[in-house]
Amino acid sequence: MRNVVVAGYVRSPFHFAGKGDLARLRPDDLAAQVVRGLIERTGVTPQHIEDLIVGCAFPEGEQGLNVARLIGLLSDLPLSVGGMTVNRFCGSSMSAIHIAAGQIRMGAGDAFICAGVESMSRVPMMGFNPLPNPELAGKNGGAYMSMGETAENVASRYQVTREAQEAFALASQKKAAAARAAGRFSDEIIAIRTKKGVVSEDGTLRPDTTAEGLAALKPAFDKEGSVTAGTSSPLTDGASAVLVTSEDYARENGLEIFARIVGISIAGCAPDIMGIGPVPASKKALDRARVPISALDVVELNEAFASQAIACARELGLKEGTVNIDGGAIAIGHPLGATGARIVGKAAALLKREGGRYALATQCIGGGQGIATVLERA
Amino acid sequence: MGDRIGRVCVIGAGVMGAGIAAQVANAGVPVLLLDVAGEGPDRSAIAREAVARMVKAEPAPFMSKQAAGLVEIGNIEDDLTKVALCDWIVEAVVERLDVKQSLYARLETVRRPGSAISSNTSTIPLAKLVEGRSEAFVADFLITHFFNPPRYMRLLEVVSGPKTRPEVAAKVEAFADRAMGKRIVHAKDRPGFIANRIGTYWIQVAVNAAMDLGLTVEEADAIGGRPMGVPKTGIFGLIDLVGLDLMPLLQKSLGSSLAPDDPFHASLRTLQLVEKMIAEGHIGRKGKGGFYRINREKGGVREVIDLVTGEYRPEIKSVPPKGDLAALVATKGKIGEFAWGLLGRTLGYAAALVPEVAEDIVAIDDAMKLGYNWKFGPFELIDQLGTANFVRRLEQEGSAVPALLKLAGERSLYRVENGRRQYFGLDGEYHDIVRSEGVLLLEDIKLGSQPLLKNGSAALWNIGDGVTALEFTGKMNALDSDVMELIAKAIPLVQRHHKALIIYSDARNFSAGANLGFALFAVNIAAWGEIEKLVAAGQQAYKALKYAPFPVVAAPAGMALGGGCEILLHADAVQAHAETYIGLVETGVGLIPAWGGCGEMIDRWTHSGRLPKGPMPSVARIFEIVGTATVSKSAAEARDYLFLRDRDGITMNRDRLLADAKAKALSLAEGYVPPEASQYRLPGASGRVALRFAAERFHRLGLATDYDLIVSDTLAELLSGGSADLLDDVSEAELLALERQGFMARIRDGRSQVRIEHMLETGKPLRN
Repeated sequence: MRNVVVAGYVRSPFHFAGKGDLARLRPDDLAAQVVRGLIERTGVTPQHIEDLIVGCAFPEGEQGLNVARLIGLLSDLPLSVGGMTVNRFCGSSMSAIHIAAGQIRMGAGDAFICAGVESMSRVPMMGFNPLPNPELAGKNGGAYMSMGETAENVASRYQVTREAQEAFALASQKKAAAARAAGRFSDEIIAIRTKKGVVSEDGTLRPDTTAEGLAALKPAFDKEGSVTAGTSSPLTDGASAVLVTSEDYARENGLEIFARIVGISIAGCAPDIMGIGPVPASKKALDRARVPISALDVVELNEAFASQAIACARELGLKEGTVNIDGGAIAIGHPLGATGARIVGKAAALLKREGGRYALATQCIGGGQGIATVLERA
Repeated sequence: MGDRIGRVCVIGAGVMGAGIAAQVANAGVPVLLLDVAGEGPDRSAIAREAVARMVKAEPAPFMSKQAAGLVEIGNIEDDLTKVALCDWIVEAVVERLDVKQSLYARLETVRRPGSAISSNTSTIPLAKLVEGRSEAFVADFLITHFFNPPRYMRLLEVVSGPKTRPEVAAKVEAFADRAMGKRIVHAKDRPGFIANRIGTYWIQVAVNAAMDLGLTVEEADAIGGRPMGVPKTGIFGLIDLVGLDLMPLLQKSLGSSLAPDDPFHASLRTLQLVEKMIAEGHIGRKGKGGFYRINREKGGVREVIDLVTGEYRPEIKSVPPKGDLAALVATKGKIGEFAWGLLGRTLGYAAALVPEVAEDIVAIDDAMKLGYNWKFGPFELIDQLGTANFVRRLEQEGSAVPALLKLAGERSLYRVENGRRQYFGLDGEYHDIVRSEGVLLLEDIKLGSQPLLKNGSAALWNIGDGVTALEFTGKMNALDSDVMELIAKAIPLVQRHHKALIIYSDARNFSAGANLGFALFAVNIAAWGEIEKLVAAGQQAYKALKYAPFPVVAAPAGMALGGGCEILLHADAVQAHAETYIGLVETGVGLIPAWGGCGEMIDRWTHSGRLPKGPMPSVARIFEIVGTATVSKSAAEARDYLFLRDRDGITMNRDRLLADAKAKALSLAEGYVPPEASQYRLPGASGRVALRFAAERFHRLGLATDYDLIVSDTLAELLSGGSADLLDDVSEAELLALERQGFMARIRDGRSQVRIEHMLETGKPLRN
């Protein structure tokens, strides 16, 4: 069987939607710059790329049509390279990687660019014309439930206190701040050109966050609830890209191998507690890879909300100190379609940097799903 | 640069200077705001902070976000040369002669010759201000005295010096009038000019009289407030608003420059209570409270200071005496004594100031009405008491009788002759009150003509040149079946004999909406059929206006709420006063707009080009605007909600509104073609669900009540077109039927009825 590897990972800086430095940049232009950056950093030969697979959670407006093909054209990929847009909400670009991995195993290509993009400034969550199915809305309230409400449900059903959420959020901010201060984001960030100048740093981090400041925030979704803006990932603009190849191709072409993909999975769960999705998905993927949880050295567990991240970490029994070493989405941001590729790329890069053997990247998905990827150091 | 003012500089970024700059910006004119250079790295910090404060202040000095962007900030040290680009320089620095004079000396070196310079001084004579200045400077100099807050107070006292060039004064006055919306009152170069001279005296007399007679603060304000046409804040409430600490400064400044025999001096007393209050920081609303305060420690209870003990105690509401003014001053006991003590002195003082402070009584009445918000000027009040009676009582008590009143004898100070209002002059003759060019008031038209149509709630007037004006006349200009009936009758009449129709009223508020009192009465007797008939009649009347074969221009000022907003939405064009507050507020009383307003809003938003395409964006935006009962805080802001469109006009000066509306109507009359009936493409049940999700998010956050959810669902059903399908057009008639159906469902609900009752009783929405 052909092994599949992660042979490159980059992302744009992440910025707050609406007021951040990327708000006025079209998402297709943003993603095209990140794709170009990946090619330049990895040195992959563009003619060898089979397909550009782009995850996007609200693929309409400026990120509509088949935005993957348009990004390919914008980034001057050879016309021979394909383009496919994938939507699995927050899991979109992790699914892009899974699709590539499957095709490589099938022998249907050697090199894929798996990217993700979301401008939450320019395309609102729910899209421009939300038209829910009235019957389904009546039958299953969770189907269209707001993410904040699901986070409250997880907090109460898994007994995650507000204090625990705030301690988690504070830790995420501190880890991210320390990582940036130590220059540990410079390898992954591609500077982005905008009309107002070059953007090369995240705008989302709040290194000055304090426990008192977090404790003073009002609940963001339910006046009786425990989830605040400080314990939620912010609305974010950003793009990410991962180079996925067969191991043989990477070796033959002198590419830097970050990690081998050894297990993948998707799992559904109840929509009204969608945040718990990583639990069944991770178990499945780890079983398939025959990797026990205790063997994990690096975990990228997306922080859509502190409440769900804590509940998942507890349910899975993740080891202290392995999770989100450079901080997570609460600090860095969560541009929906871009997050999956970011955390797979990040987990692979961390595995290399930290020197462990196994890594897990997993995230929850609106509508009630979880997705997971298991990596092994190559 | 000739007689146009295209750029203004205001020097002094205090409350007045910054407010004046904001009003210039509200007129769409760029303005440079300067103050002294700060010590820190940001040398323009004072002006910058002044603008930042104003952006957040309530009531807002700016009418729109765009206006705030027209203010350029700077400091006098680094930026004074920029005044060379300005056509008018307004000085509003600290009230000190030396500071003003040294600023003028510097301005002389940098300003462009011919640019106007004016001071906003409230007490310093013009002659002193220009001492030592060049002839050219003096020729371009005048006093422009604004009132606080400059956006909302309509009075501008203008004092020209003997050497002021008339064309400079005319340029400034024209700008202040048309662009800034002020009514110009010409005052003489006397201390305190007109309004503050009389107003300060009036306040002193009132405080003295209340103390002498042993009245409480509440009693004094009840008598000296509404019965005399004074805002219900009353006199002590006004002192709290101005600030107790400012009163001694104003008194001292005025007192030092008035003649020794001026009655002003006799009214000045050192009041230990007031000194104690100032020392303790009880300086009014900006401090720890004044004569009135809200005691938050006791749960926000309103307290009042006892004038004898100087201690606060809970407010004891005092009911204003009923009856006319003549009866009030004739009342035996403290009430009558206070009323006469206040009016006899104040009005007598005002009468003695002609011609010292103004050429005629009209200027003084205007100044008090617009500068102090009195409903009647001093001379109108004397007419209410009767000139002869007033003089007789002055004589009885041995007070001096002003020459003007002696001259008038038995005659009134105002009269109507040949359909024109006239005032009594110092020459012993009556003179026509002449309005400025471009000023048209319905009250003037009414003096000389009869209405074309009239009933209990509305009237139709011929305002000349083929234009008619429909006026609402009910309480708060409320809309009822009489209004709809009159509209129905007016349309064929206007069609036959006239060119255009304006909907307008001289009243403070255009219309607060449908007559809820009638609605509640009908509910109480379960006259559902009558209610539905009124809803249908309103729809028919408004659509008849929309499709009438002549142009309809609505000219609102003040509040245009609910049905008062919906009628604007049906007009071909709106000419709005800048201070117009527009909103569809029906959900506040548990109802939904049902006189065609929702359809008109859908039409506007769908074709606005401001939102993404598809069936939801416009519907969702309207759901937000109407569901939260949003009211625009100005006509300019009403454009943000599309209550007003780009083609609609805004008039800054209230007095010019009717004339501007008439001009607009006539411009539309030539070759007028009525609009085509609207068709709507609406999202149906799916859209309703999406809107419900949005409302539920508010509900979870505690921002919407359980019943709000039900009301908003009725609104959602209407806006999404009921059972409409994306592929089908919804006709106007179908949408109107949905409006009626939704409205009736809500008004039959007891929870809406409780809301209506509460609104009628308190004037505030009930959150049930």
